[in-house]
Amino acid sequence: MIFEDKFIGGILVVKPLEKRIDASSSTNFEGHMVEAIKDGHNRIVLDLAEVDFIDSSGLVAIVSTLKMIGPRGDLVIGGMKETVMSLFRLTRMNRVFQIYPSGEEAVNTLCDGFKA
Amino acid sequence: MDQSKEKEARTITLTVDSRLEDVFLVGLAVRSICSYTSLSVMEASQMEVCVVEAVNNAIKHSYHLKKGYDVDIIISLYPDQIEFKVCNSGEPMKSTAEARVNFDPKDVKELPEGGLGLYIINSIMDEVSYRCLDGRNVVRMCKWIKPRVSLPE
Repeated sequence: MIFEDKFIGGILVVKPLEKRIDASSSTNFEGHMVEAIKDGHNRIVLDLAEVDFIDSSGLVAIVSTLKMIGPRGDLVIGGMKETVMSLFRLTRMNRVFQIYPSGEEAVNTLCDGFKA
Repeated sequence: MDQSKEKEARTITLTVDSRLEDVFLVGLAVRSICSYTSLSVMEASQMEVCVVEAVNNAIKHSYHLKKGYDVDIIISLYPDQIEFKVCNSGEPMKSTAEARVNFDPKDVKELPEGGLGLYIINSIMDEVSYRCLDGRNVVRMCKWIKPRVSLPE
């Protein structure tokens, strides 16, 4: 799985450059997120703009990342397509995560929160 | 299902090896077939998720991630429904317990990490059944559709 990682104002933006986060790629995805957290990043924006399919394995990998960050950080999602969003709604994970229309808006919100 | 109903069906059988990395091919085929029906793009995507979940379950729980085994996906298109049967000859499913989604969204530690696939299937599909007969495990999933296109004679 290929990622584009950016560091903006103390926030790590992780953008998977794949169309799918599924059972075959979720381990790779989770490994990437675990490495980022181990490297000290605990304010993370997950930009899903390129992803048009997520299954339960992908969803669980994102939930596991949130659990690993815990209360000492943030995992915010941006750029989610409607097909992916529908799975978050169905499983009620849309109530768990802060979700923004784009990665940029997610970053701006985290930055504003940090300043406040 | 009665014989006259069976005659109305147009059916295709896909076979995929028990490799998680190949399951996306099944998903693409399902999405394409659904696009021929009156299902919306969103509903077609949901059908894809359900079939992918069922195939993943077969590979993980019936074949224990061992490669080299067949998973068959029988797709039958009727004027008023689309039916998917996901079949394998591995170990029968031990549990049909689905995740509970009435969790407290603020209690991150208690968020579900298992059974979400079955929850997704049961929530999206109109009919779901599972049977094991003569060493063959079959998950049947059905979605009712509005008649829109007439199938070729």
